[in-house]
Amino acid sequence: MSLVSGPGRGGTHNQDALPDQLKLAVDQHVRYIRNLDTRKDELQYWLTEHLRLNGVYWGLTALHLLGHPEGLPRDATIKFVLDCHNIDGGFGAAPGHDSHMLYTVSAVQILATVDALPELESSKYGGKAKVADFIANLQDRESGTFAGDEWGEQDTRFLYCAFNALSILNMMDRIDVDKAVAYVKACENFDGSYGRIPGAESHSGQVFTCVGALAIARRLDLVSQDRLAAWLSERQLPNGGLNGRPEKLEDVCYSWWVLTGLSIIGKLHWIDKSKLSNFILRCQDTEHGGMSDRPGNMVDVFHTCFGVAGLSLLGYPGLRKVNPMYCMPDDVVQKLPYWHK
Amino acid sequence: MASHGVPRSATREQRSVEARQKELREIEQYQSLVTEIRQGVEKKDLSPELLDKTSALLKKNPEYYTIWNVRRLIFANEFDNLVNQVQNQHLEEDKKQSQVLDIINHDLYFLFPLLLEYPKCYWIWNHRLWLLNQGSFYLTPGGARALWDDELTLVSKMLTRDSRNFHGWGYRRTVIEKLESDELNGQSLSRAEYNYTTKMIGQNLSNFSAWHTRSRLILKILNEENADAVERKQMLDEELKLIHKALFDPYDQSLWFYHQNLMSNFDPDTCQKAMAPGLSQAEKVAYVQEEREFVEDLIEDAADSKWVYQALMDCVLIEGKLTGGLSAEMNKNVQTWLEKLKELDPLRSGRWADVQHTILRRTV
Ligand SMILES: [Zn+2]
Repeated sequence: MSLVSGPGRGGTHNQDALPDQLKLAVDQHVRYIRNLDTRKDELQYWLTEHLRLNGVYWGLTALHLLGHPEGLPRDATIKFVLDCHNIDGGFGAAPGHDSHMLYTVSAVQILATVDALPELESSKYGGKAKVADFIANLQDRESGTFAGDEWGEQDTRFLYCAFNALSILNMMDRIDVDKAVAYVKACENFDGSYGRIPGAESHSGQVFTCVGALAIARRLDLVSQDRLAAWLSERQLPNGGLNGRPEKLEDVCYSWWVLTGLSIIGKLHWIDKSKLSNFILRCQDTEHGGMSDRPGNMVDVFHTCFGVAGLSLLGYPGLRKVNPMYCMPDDVVQKLPYWHK
Repeated sequence: MASHGVPRSATREQRSVEARQKELREIEQYQSLVTEIRQGVEKKDLSPELLDKTSALLKKNPEYYTIWNVRRLIFANEFDNLVNQVQNQHLEEDKKQSQVLDIINHDLYFLFPLLLEYPKCYWIWNHRLWLLNQGSFYLTPGGARALWDDELTLVSKMLTRDSRNFHGWGYRRTVIEKLESDELNGQSLSRAEYNYTTKMIGQNLSNFSAWHTRSRLILKILNEENADAVERKQMLDEELKLIHKALFDPYDQSLWFYHQNLMSNFDPDTCQKAMAPGLSQAEKVAYVQEEREFVEDLIEDAADSKWVYQALMDCVLIEGKLTGGLSAEMNKNVQTWLEKLKELDPLRSGRWADVQHTILRRTV
């Protein structure tokens, strides 16, 4: 799965379209994602290898939401994921890359989406218990938060990844959930939003991870819902797109982070949904496929995934429903044993 | 991500034959470098040559996190060797220290141009922190402190270049925490940092990063200095004075968020966690009325700023909580402002409808 940007450019072929003429170019996006892995003759393909497993997750999720789960061959996908498995139980970005939380969660999400979690047991480096151990060992037992790998950087992103993967594996009992939840609460700022660590500035990416983690732990009672929703709704700019923090530019991926926060606390109606929908649609290249961060820029698979997921959350017709906590098809999440307790 | 704000460039269909061949050669060189490093690690050959190869690769691709890990393995091995030599009495302790310092300085120097070129790359910042933490571990507190002091100078320079750099502000907090720590014989720098935010706000009022940092520092200062009710009230008064001065631009949301933060001192639902939790009921009412008058004065020049109406509404709603309900007149005012908000702020009309609904329910 190539993470090279382009060849298309968002908004190139629908610049003059009136709002009611904007349509999701489903076939073009499917073709764009399917062709990503044929670009090995570009240096950028290799320079982005450190994101490969994330890329598979983004491409696969977009395809599933677009209603084309067959877009990537299932067997080859599972094989690639297992090739990224390491002896420590974690997953690296590509075969031969070191384990990190960011790729371990992608591996688990991909396998769950293609209904192949049992395949983990066939890995030579152990099954899901080993994966859960890798994740659980990254928790700082004193503060409750998580590091990304053995080298120790801590960030609520990794805490969220741990909750995401362990709840999918139904092994949340491996970690100290209460301590982690208290840590998330300590990251809340006066504006109701959240930072990477206590004291850090609010950022909508961290809203996705912190509110997502609290939702997975069933602790939304800790969220200052009105204050947070007010801050999140102010992220919408007159062009309909959303930004990550005050005075910054709009972006399709930030639109997703903000949107999930609003959706999880039941305040999606605090922004103008149809304007956002149109902003996302204006970021597609309707001929070559793919979406960009904002109209005029090069498309990539990351923004394609979050653009499609955003449209799904906004109820765009014909898309499979996305789950805002996990950014995975909702029916996949509904089937997880963790949500039947 | 790889493509934030990437404008369109030549696509691969447009590349000439020569350009394609050149790219294929580059791929080959890049891949053989990757293979050589991987083989070196497998053979546990943590040599200076391997270090040079990681340097060459990271200059091409600083996002390759596995290669940063290799670099750390090499240094950790060198530090171990030095410690062993001291234990076997083949090396003096102060020689070990100066060699450790050389290694760290050399690598900090290697990172500097990369940081300038890729200021948003997490892995470079992480690696810097790792190096500095090695300093804290292997050097005397004085020696380590000098490294962290230089780091504070560096991050200040970065924030001068880009005053909203998210990583820059986060990194600064980490550096300050280290300089304050016992392991470096530190003491609180909260006052100095508070003054730093004053300076940054003075240069650019809509620097939300600076306002945010300030909100956290104030609570820290008041706790560290065991401030009593009078001192807390003084601090609150100073902040109100500052924000009033700043609000000559009544369209700037950073300023209004900070104003809301100060208003939380008067709201019975939030005041316990605010900077001056000891205000009496009468004091709170007086403050809120003063704020309302201040905002009312702003309307004359900013009748089309939605933030003004929002602030007026907040004032009145808080006053209602403090005095046991809204007067009929105030209720009417709130309804007028809500209509104004719906008109000026159509994107968030759903929010204003919710607020209206809540107030109506409360009044009934
Ligand atoms: Zn983006």
